[in-house]
Amino acid sequence: MAHTPLTIPPEVRSRLKRLRLRTRSDLGTGGFGMHPSRNKGAGLEFAQYRAYEPGDEPRRIDWKLFARSDKFFVREAEQESPVSVWILIDASASMAQADRARPDWSRLDAAKLVALCIAELAMMQGDRFGWIALQEDALEVADPHGGRAQKDHLQIDFARLQAAGTFPDAGTLTPLWERIGAHDLVFFLSDCFDEGGIALIERLAKAGREVLAVQMLTVEERDFPFDGGYLFREQESGATLVGDGKALREDFLARFAAARAALDDRLDSAGIRHTVYVLDEPIDSPLQTFFGRGAPPK
Amino acid sequence: MTPLLLVPFGLVALAALVVPLLIHLRRRTEEVPIEFAALRWLDPRPRPRSKLRFDEWVLLALRLLLIALLALLLARPAVLGWDDNSPRVLVAPGIDPAAARKTAGPDADLRWIAPGFPAIDTAPPASPEQTSSLIRQFDAELPAEAPLTILVPPELDGVDADRLRLSRKVTWRIVGADKKAEKPAPPENPALSVRYQQAQAGAVRYFRAAAGAWSDAPRFDAGTGTALPRQDAVLVWLNPGPVPQAVTDWIGAGGTALLGSTAEVAMPATTEALWRDQTGGVLVEGGFLGEGRLMRFTRPLVPAQMPDLLAPDFAATLRDLVTPPAPPPARVASAAFVPTAGAAPYPLPPRDLAPWLAVMIAIVFLAERLLATRRRRFAA
Repeated sequence: MAHTPLTIPPEVRSRLKRLRLRTRSDLGTGGFGMHPSRNKGAGLEFAQYRAYEPGDEPRRIDWKLFARSDKFFVREAEQESPVSVWILIDASASMAQADRARPDWSRLDAAKLVALCIAELAMMQGDRFGWIALQEDALEVADPHGGRAQKDHLQIDFARLQAAGTFPDAGTLTPLWERIGAHDLVFFLSDCFDEGGIALIERLAKAGREVLAVQMLTVEERDFPFDGGYLFREQESGATLVGDGKALREDFLARFAAARAALDDRLDSAGIRHTVYVLDEPIDSPLQTFFGRGAPPK
Repeated sequence: MTPLLLVPFGLVALAALVVPLLIHLRRRTEEVPIEFAALRWLDPRPRPRSKLRFDEWVLLALRLLLIALLALLLARPAVLGWDDNSPRVLVAPGIDPAAARKTAGPDADLRWIAPGFPAIDTAPPASPEQTSSLIRQFDAELPAEAPLTILVPPELDGVDADRLRLSRKVTWRIVGADKKAEKPAPPENPALSVRYQQAQAGAVRYFRAAAGAWSDAPRFDAGTGTALPRQDAVLVWLNPGPVPQAVTDWIGAGGTALLGSTAEVAMPATTEALWRDQTGGVLVEGGFLGEGRLMRFTRPLVPAQMPDLLAPDFAATLRDLVTPPAPPPARVASAAFVPTAGAAPYPLPPRDLAPWLAVMIAIVFLAERLLATRRRRFAA
């Protein structure tokens, strides 16, 4: 299976440059760095020296170097951010669904690209990011790191990632609690059809993690453009249903809208910011919803 | 104008309408398998399939129309009262077509009085036959309101014994000058060929005498052989015993033969008495054999047995016996033969619409083929 590496379309990339991943606690506080850091100022990890400029704190001058070179240098460290960005990507079988009009653009493909956009954003602002692929048997966990290597790692990981099986049960999900630290920013990319997934993010939100949920929907789920006889098959349970598209349409749209409204209520009450991404929308639209200028986060 | 169906049972063919309907019925059995994660929000008990639906409405309509027209054709649609009431002119043979055209006008519908009533532009019919019958037929087949003009020569030939009594008042016009009627020649007297044996030689003279009585130049020959005369002569076969096959063949080919009572022959089934004497006894019997006539004396040809041989009218009776019957008189002065009106009009048969329908069917069929084979249909 030859997977071409995921690429962000150029126009999306330019739009991403105007976005910043912000947590709720950023709002209004401003301050130093993108996220509030426990040890303000220089971090521990050395990055580079630079010439002293008026206004730099005298204690940040490297006096040993001054003794050797008779010049003031300021030792700069990498901005250590205590906040990691986690991408939870649902890889159950239902994520493999694509529209008939565009069979090579599945929900999982879209989720991978959204994840890449998030990684790009995180990388641009120096945040560490990691991801967890939620699959039936085992979680595929990549611990948060920053830098380009982590992005390459993500590309390799995602190239192998296939949608299969059901949503993992609570037992399988246990390691997740050890990894995602409090105050971490968690993106949840899923079709949100599995109760397990909703329960998971509800618990995460309750435990203080900031969760952003993107419900990935296909165009057919939104529009139900079926006309004629169809054999509908649910991927994870294998349940089938024979029906006439037109006869089912109205009822489905009403019930599906009600279900989405119920989900919205549920996520709102859990304090989870959420949006819907339909496969024919631009890939950065969920991020614009969360972080864009037009749609300030709640 | 009353439309009607001559064979209403043909409408049963309308049942074939179901065939294009079935062809165009969107096949409901096809179920496209599709992955659908949001299955749980689909109604698990879907309502029964929605109403029947058909593909390609225009083509379906054309095909239905085609079949309906074919069924209609089988039912033989006709229309009553859709008649052509334009005036007609009948022209009797013997009239110059140019003179007829001049008399009737340049636009008139001129037709010969001949079987099939050909237009006057065609060659004139050979001889006038059954003129009365043809006029009656034309009158009967003509709509009651259509005026009819008949152009006849001063002397009309081919009429029968009955006066013309038609269903309408016709214009009877006599065209052309009165030709000087030539005196018809009287029919030729028959030639007698007697074949006999010596034992019957006494009878020959009666025939010779009869032939002599018919004409000053009698056509008579007598011989003892079996040589057969020309076909138009009358063979008098007096030889006793079985009649040779050659003689019956000669008769069958159109000859007329009078056999003696001693000849042995199988008489034809149509045999009847042709000549009776005063007491009612049969003297000659006979009938048709093939094309010809076979007659036989029932008595020996001696005056003791058959006194009529000596009767004064023997020659005339014999001539009537052997000459073919004369045709009935068939010529009449046209001025005295004006048809009268008053016959009951004949109901006209309804006009068959099949030719029109056939043209319509052809057009619809072409349109259907055009639509069914257009390239865009297979592109999808």
